[in-house]
Amino acid sequence: MEQKKQTYQPRTLETQLPFSWKRLFFQWEWMLLLILVAVLLFGSYVSPYFLNYPSLRDGTMVFLDKALIVFPMAMIMIMRDIDISVGSTVALSSVVMASLYTTAGLPMEIAIVACLVTGAVCGLINGLLIVKFKELSAVIVTLGTMILYRGIAYIILEDQAAGGFPEWFGFFGWGYVFGIPFLLIVFAALAIVFGILLHRTTFGRKVFAIGNNPTASRFSGVRVDRIKVIVFMLAGLLAAITAIFLTSRMGSTRPNIATMYELDIIAMAALGGVSTAGGKGRVVGVVIAVFIIGYLQYGLGLINMPSQLFLIIVGALLILSVAIPKIGSLMKRK
Amino acid sequence: MLNEFVLEMKGITKAFPGVKALDDMQFQLKKGEIHALMGENGAGKSTFIKIITGVHEPTEGDMYLFGEKISFQNPNEAEKLGIAAIYQHVTSYPDLSVTENIFMNHEIRHPTWKTLNWREMHKQARELLRELGSSIDPKAQMNTLSVAQQQIIEIAKAISTKAKIIIMDEPTAALTARESEELYRITEKLRDEGTSIIFISHRFEDMYRLASRVTVLRDSKYIGTWNVDEISNDKLIVAMVGREINQIFPDKIVTAGDTVLEVKNLSKLGDFEDISFSVKKGEILGMTGLVGAGRTEVCQAIFGITRFEKGEILLNGSSVKSRNPQEAMQNGIGYLAEDRLEQGLVVDWSIEKNVTLANLSELSTYTWLHRAKEKEQAKTFGEKVQIKATSIFDTVHSLSGGNQQKVAVAKLLTKDLKVILLDEPTKGVDIGAKAAIYEIVQQLAEAGYAVLFVSSEMPEILGMSDRILVMKEGRIAAEFVNRGVTQEMILEAAMGEEPVQKKSG
Repeated sequence: MEQKKQTYQPRTLETQLPFSWKRLFFQWEWMLLLILVAVLLFGSYVSPYFLNYPSLRDGTMVFLDKALIVFPMAMIMIMRDIDISVGSTVALSSVVMASLYTTAGLPMEIAIVACLVTGAVCGLINGLLIVKFKELSAVIVTLGTMILYRGIAYIILEDQAAGGFPEWFGFFGWGYVFGIPFLLIVFAALAIVFGILLHRTTFGRKVFAIGNNPTASRFSGVRVDRIKVIVFMLAGLLAAITAIFLTSRMGSTRPNIATMYELDIIAMAALGGVSTAGGKGRVVGVVIAVFIIGYLQYGLGLINMPSQLFLIIVGALLILSVAIPKIGSLMKRK
Repeated sequence: MLNEFVLEMKGITKAFPGVKALDDMQFQLKKGEIHALMGENGAGKSTFIKIITGVHEPTEGDMYLFGEKISFQNPNEAEKLGIAAIYQHVTSYPDLSVTENIFMNHEIRHPTWKTLNWREMHKQARELLRELGSSIDPKAQMNTLSVAQQQIIEIAKAISTKAKIIIMDEPTAALTARESEELYRITEKLRDEGTSIIFISHRFEDMYRLASRVTVLRDSKYIGTWNVDEISNDKLIVAMVGREINQIFPDKIVTAGDTVLEVKNLSKLGDFEDISFSVKKGEILGMTGLVGAGRTEVCQAIFGITRFEKGEILLNGSSVKSRNPQEAMQNGIGYLAEDRLEQGLVVDWSIEKNVTLANLSELSTYTWLHRAKEKEQAKTFGEKVQIKATSIFDTVHSLSGGNQQKVAVAKLLTKDLKVILLDEPTKGVDIGAKAAIYEIVQQLAEAGYAVLFVSSEMPEILGMSDRILVMKEGRIAAEFVNRGVTQEMILEAAMGEEPVQKKSG
């Protein structure tokens, strides 16, 4: 029998990857950029008023308010959970703020703080329920709180509208800083903050760990439950911030605002490459997806297209976005 | 010529990539016979069952049923030909009724309408159960029954499929003595009616009480078949464990220091009771016993994954409480999980991220992660345990079992630990990687860790440990200083017929 000659050699591990074009370009974000360009071209084709700076700039005000929630939603989906109560949280926070200002006569500043607290508490409740009742899925828990929060909003305002906010409050929805919509600046800032949080901090690393393997994470000393509660609270807080921008833009509020927001937000995150199976996703992709869906909606709105068409296109895009990686791996197998 | 065997296997081999799970298996089952199948954990018993029941297709060899050569494409075919299996962990539908469980997949339908004939099914279920001497209500929900009752339902199901061969996989493992007696009675009744039974058990008493013949497996190989009344207890144990101890264990050069970990009277209802032991600095304490004896449960309680109800854990003489793994590691206790794919590692991740996962706080300031430090740490510890890979960015699932285990060990090394609990560290790795892991375990002891080494494999327990604890049914059945200890002594403590003497007071 022949035996291989073995010399003892301590093994070393490389810490630098060689540069590879494939790695650089074989990424979902490039695909998303192409889709975004296609959407912009489509917009300029259907409407002469679409493709210019003021139009694209002001168009963001239509969709960026709800897009603020997409960042914590991406984190939640990375952890294999979901939160469908965010639309209701927006409504409840907004209604609490409006009624504290109008009915209770408190100063607007305090009403805004109350709005933020309400959102955070809503998220906290979601998070606690999900970690305490592990046999319930996040869909069921947040379906429950979605109905609950909306119901409370209706009790507070009784299907009335509340408005008449101070003039400075309109700044959130309509204000510009150096010629850029305030909302766009806030969105950009949050994109950077969440990008850092998710990709450059231990907190983000743990979020991905939980999404990939919750048991192994716990066994490695990751405080899984605590992190989940924090992220759900962030979702509630961001929903409250959205409530401020949305209420400001509309000038008044009703208990039925922000219905179906959760679906748009989940669609944005999924299209942006956040895996519904958990563990994968990048803020860059999510940001591009926000603009794809947003500008599509805006462009179709400019030419008075029925909103059903928008839904059909978003649906198709979503299915495409989950199908394309699958097709790739199917072909690899053959 | 009429074949006297209902089931015959000739030279059955099952190979998975890299391992032979069953090698040249011979087996003959007579009509109306209870045939015991014995062997250590991992000896190939479950692969053997999976081949008979059609879950796995054998790579080589022939199988004959009633003298006819057969091969199964899927478990349904085996079931149709009259082969049924009853597992230790009952695999029923807990939310459905007894009747539904019994008739699952062979429901009785109305001859013309093809609708389910519940009345007939309930009636037949009741009759089946009465024949088995049981008065369980067929309409009761499965999860309201005890484990013993659920097993009777599984047997009833096997009978209702008109099974001629019934495989029972450790059916008595979760039963009390009285429930076992009931099971013996039913098994004997089936045998007298002409059913052939393959009875798998770790308990010698089961075998002596029921079986007429016994077949022994060891290291995936067929060792032999004997008549039960012709083989002695000692001979059987020798057949099961083999004589030779592998020479792959490193030489011990450490002398143990002061006591580091001390566990006092640890108890958790249903899992373990009155567990006391201590591990010294530089010492390897082996812990063995049958699967289900409570070893993993003890480790996980010490590591803060589960709570214990009574008892105390001391580290260097002072009492510590770990409410979760994070606190346990801060206290200096590390745990290498038994199931490295599910509990130990994030397999889709790189070596780097896995190695640093437990130690992220050390690599960051205000949660900002220092990537350069992280790479450096992954490299340092990856090389320390000699992971065979090109870079720290290789994903863990691309590594072999042994190298994956090294990644998990490297992760523990990043923490400042005093005690390391290793739960079956060599499970599912090949012999070469085992030697490498033994080397690492030895190095851990040399580096001054107190090591608790949990394993089901006698040779490595004997080859590695300074002292050996044997657990049985949630208790410590015996403790040996590893000098002149034999596998027979351990097996007898782990399986012995004599109940463990309870400490008084």
